[in-house]
Amino acid sequence: MDKGIRPIAALTKAPTLTTVGRMLKSGIRPLGLLGPAGIWLLLLVVLPTLLITELSLVPGLRPGQPIESYGFLNYLRILEPTYLQVLQRSATFATGTTLLCLGFGFPVAYWLALMAPKRWRNLLLVLFILPLWTSSLLRTYAWITLLRSSGVINLVLTTLGLPPQGLMNTPWAVYVGMTYSFLPYMVLILYASLERLDLQLLEAAADLGANPRLAFWRVTVPQTLPGIAAGCLLVFVTSLGDFVVPTLLGGPNSMTISQLIYNQFLGVARNWGFGSSLSMVLILMVSMAIALLLKYGDRNPDIYS
Amino acid sequence: MKVAAPSTKTQDLPSRRRVSWQACLTVMMYCFMYIPIIVLGVYSFNESRYGAIWKGFSLTWYRKLMGDERLFLALGDSLKIALCAVAVSSVLGTLMAVGLAKYRFPGKSLYVGISYLPLIIPDIAISVATLVFLASVAVPLSLWTAIAAHMVFCLAYIAIVVSSRLQGLDPNLEEAALDLGATPTQALLKVLIPQLAPAIVSGCLLAFVLSMDDLLISSFTAGGANPLPIEIFSRVKTGIKPDINALSVLLILASGLIASCSEYFRYKSERS
Amino acid sequence: MPRRLSRNSSLLTNTSRRRFLQGSAAALAGVGLSNCRRTIGETETVAPADDTTAAAPASGTLQIYTWADYTDDELAAQFTEATGIDVKIDVYDSNETMLAKMQAGGGENYSLIYPSDYMVTEMIGLDMLTELDQSRLVGLDKIRDKWQSPVYDPDNTHSVPYSWGTTGLLYNSEVLTTPPTDWNYLWDNSDVLSRKMTLLDDVRETMGAVLSSLGYSYNATDPAELEEAYQRLLELKPSLASFKSFGWQDELLSGDLLLSMVYSVEGIPVSLENPTFKYVIPESGSSVWTDTMVIPTSAPNVDAAYEWINFNLQPKVSQETVERLFFATPNGEAMTLLSKELLDNQNLFPPEDLLAKCEGIAPVGEANVLYDEYWTKVKSA
Repeated sequence: MDKGIRPIAALTKAPTLTTVGRMLKSGIRPLGLLGPAGIWLLLLVVLPTLLITELSLVPGLRPGQPIESYGFLNYLRILEPTYLQVLQRSATFATGTTLLCLGFGFPVAYWLALMAPKRWRNLLLVLFILPLWTSSLLRTYAWITLLRSSGVINLVLTTLGLPPQGLMNTPWAVYVGMTYSFLPYMVLILYASLERLDLQLLEAAADLGANPRLAFWRVTVPQTLPGIAAGCLLVFVTSLGDFVVPTLLGGPNSMTISQLIYNQFLGVARNWGFGSSLSMVLILMVSMAIALLLKYGDRNPDIYS
Repeated sequence: MKVAAPSTKTQDLPSRRRVSWQACLTVMMYCFMYIPIIVLGVYSFNESRYGAIWKGFSLTWYRKLMGDERLFLALGDSLKIALCAVAVSSVLGTLMAVGLAKYRFPGKSLYVGISYLPLIIPDIAISVATLVFLASVAVPLSLWTAIAAHMVFCLAYIAIVVSSRLQGLDPNLEEAALDLGATPTQALLKVLIPQLAPAIVSGCLLAFVLSMDDLLISSFTAGGANPLPIEIFSRVKTGIKPDINALSVLLILASGLIASCSEYFRYKSERS
Repeated sequence: MPRRLSRNSSLLTNTSRRRFLQGSAAALAGVGLSNCRRTIGETETVAPADDTTAAAPASGTLQIYTWADYTDDELAAQFTEATGIDVKIDVYDSNETMLAKMQAGGGENYSLIYPSDYMVTEMIGLDMLTELDQSRLVGLDKIRDKWQSPVYDPDNTHSVPYSWGTTGLLYNSEVLTTPPTDWNYLWDNSDVLSRKMTLLDDVRETMGAVLSSLGYSYNATDPAELEEAYQRLLELKPSLASFKSFGWQDELLSGDLLLSMVYSVEGIPVSLENPTFKYVIPESGSSVWTDTMVIPTSAPNVDAAYEWINFNLQPKVSQETVERLFFATPNGEAMTLLSKELLDNQNLFPPEDLLAKCEGIAPVGEANVLYDEYWTKVKSA
C-alpha cells in the first residue's frame, strides 16, 4: 500500500498562504482522511483486542471470575499436539481454499473485466455474487443434497457410467463448500484490479512478438499482483474463520481453529483465557502472513516512474 | 461469445474467433454458483419439509412465509444494519485507504496493521470482547451498537479492496487537476474517487454480503433487534423448515430482477 | 494526458452510477419484500382464554430472550390481546450464547429467558436468577409430578418448566431389520453401520451416551470413567460418518445414513412423516432435557414476566402452542386436552418407566476441562 506517492502538491496551490498555514493545512488533511476511521478502529478494535490480550494472560479464566493472576499457561497449552493438529488442519483448509479460489476465480474475473461485453459487465458481476444472499447455513444444506452418496452429483456420475464418489463427510466436501463460499470474494477483488489493466500494454506486448501466454505472465500478472495479494489474503483469513462448512460437510475429524475457539468461549470448557490465547496466536500467525504478502504485493514494477 | 468491441483494437487481443477457454470456465463457474440455489428452490416447492422426500409440488411454504412476520422483521433488521454499516464504512474506508496511500507518518505500519485486525480476529473473540467493552462503558445494546460493530469489519474489507486498486494509479492525474486550479478536496472528489469507483463498489458489495450473513457479532452486540442469521440458526434446533428456503429464493429472484431491469433501463436511456 | 483523463473519468462515472443503481436495487428488493408482506399475510385472532388473575396490573413492554420455535407471532398476539402488554422477542441459538451475553452485560433488557435445565443450575449458582414468588404463579399444580421438583431446580424455586424432550436413536427400520434397543447396538453392529451413522455434535450428550453404555452416569466426574468412555468412543469413531446435531435429515431420509443420534424434537417429526424411520430411546437410559422460563435478576419488567408465565401455564394456551409448534409440554392438564394421536405418540410422551431411566444433564464443575479436552482429541485425531 505504501507506494510513496509524492505528497499532494500543496506547494503549487494558492501562493498567498503562509508557511504555517500551509503546514497546518497539509497536516489537517491526513487527519481528516485517517481520523474518523482511526477513531472507530481505536474504540472498537484496539481496545477489545487489548482486552483479549489481557484475558489470554490469565490461565483458566472463567467469565465472571475476578482476575487474580497472570501467566503464560494458556499459551503453553497450545503447544500440545492436539491443538497443534487443529491449527495445522485449519491452515491446510485455508490454503487449499485460497489456491482453488485463485485458480478458478482468476479466469472468471479476467473474462468479466476484459472480455465480456462492456454493457453487461456490472450485471454479470452482481449476478455472480448474488448466491451469497442466502445464509451460509442454507447454502451448506444445499451442498449436502448435492454431495451425499445418493445425491445429485453421484446421480449424474452414475448415469454417465462413472463410479460414484464418496464426497460427503470428507475433507473434499469441505474444500468444495468453502471454495463456493469465497469464490465471489476473490472474483470481486480481482475484477477491481483487472479492470484497470491497461490493454495498450498487452497490445504493445503483442506487437513486440509475445504470445498471449507470455504477455499474461509478464504483463498482466505483475500489474494485478496487488489485487491477487489482497484477494488471497482475504480468502485465506476468512476461510480460517468459517465453521459452518467444516461442521456440516466435514467428517468426524473436522475440528478447525474457529470451532475450537468457539468451544472455549461458548462450550463446556468456558475457558475464556484459553480461547483468548488461541485467538492471539491466530492473529500473530496471520499477521506474519500478511506482512509477507504486503512486501510481495508491493514489488509490482512501476511502469511510469 | 463475441466481444462487443466498438472501436478499440485492444479488445482483440484474447483469441475471439472461437469461444475462449476463459468464457467456458466462466460459464461453468456460474453454474457452480447457481446449482445450490436451484436446489434450495426445489426444496422450497416441495410439499414435504424434508428435501429428501419429494411429496409433490406445492406453494405451502411460500404461503407460510408470507404469514411469518418475525422472519420479515429479521430481514428488515439485517438490511438496516447492513445498509447503514456499509454506507458509512464506504466513506470512512475509502478515505482511510487514500490517506494511507498518500502519506507517510510515524506509526503508519501500526495503523496499517490495526486496519487489518478486524479481518483476522476470530469472530467470537471480537464479539465477546466488544460486548465486554460496551458494557464497561455502560452503552446499552441496540441496533446502533450492532451497526457500529459491523462497521468495523466493513471498514477493513472496503479499505483492502480500495487500496489494492490505489496502487499503480497514475498520480499525475491528480496533480494535473491541481495544476489546473482545483482545490485538493476537489481533486480528491472529482479525479481520485471516480478512478476508485469500481473498487469502492466491489468493496461495498463484499461488505454488504458479509454483514448480511454475520451471526456471532450480531448475537453479541445487537439488542432489541434480530438479524436474519440469528433467526435462522436459532430455528435449526427444531429443524429448518423450507419457508426460509422460500425466502432466500425470493430474495435472489427479486434482486436479480431489479438489477437486470435497472441495467436495461439505463442501457436504453444511454442509447437514446 | 488530457485525452485519457476525459475518457476514463466519463466511463468510470457511468460505471459508478450504474453500479450504485444495481447495488441499491438489490437492497431495495429486500426492503420492499419485507414491507409488502404486511398486506399479504393475515393475522388470526383467537378468543383468549381468561382465567388469569394478575396480582398487580402490568403494563409496558416485555422483552423475551428465547429459542426460535418456542414462541410465534400468534402466541405473542394472544398475550398482548389478553393483557395489553407488548411483547418483543429476541432469539438465541444456544444456551451458552445466551449466558455469555448475559454475563458480558448485554442482557439488561430481558425480563424473561428460556435456559435449559443444566443452565438453570449454573445460573442459580451465579446468582443470576430471581427466586419466583410462588403465590403469583397460577397453574403450577398442573405440571406433571416429574417436574414438580426437578433435579436441576428443587421445588422450582427459580424456574418454571416449559418443554422437555429426550435424546434417542433414529434409524431406518427397512435396512436395519434388528432394531437397536440400546447404545451397545452401535458398537456391536459397527460393520453394518460403517460410515452410515452419526452422533450428536454435543460433548455432554455423546460422552454421556458412551458413559451410559458403560453403565456410568451421564454426569460422571471420575477421570477413570471419563478415560474409559473416551477410549470406547475412539473405538467407534472409524465407523462414524460425522458428528452432527443438525443437517443429518437429508442423508438419513435418502438412505445414505442408517442411524442417527438425535433430539426428540427433530427425530419425532421425521418418524411421523415417514414411518420407515423409528425413534427409540435406549434402554439403559438416555438424557432428558427441560427448557424452562426464568426471570433474571436484571429484569426490568418483572410484573409482565409473571403475566407471561401465567399465560403460558394455562392448559388451553399450552395445548394450542404444542399443536402448532410441536414440543412436549410438562403441563399435565394441557396433555389431557391434546389429540389422542399426539398423546399416543410414545416418543413424544414416553412411558413413565422409561422416563425414569433418563437422566438430566447437570453441570460437572471442574470435570468440564476433562470433557473439553477429550472432545477436542476425539474430533481432531
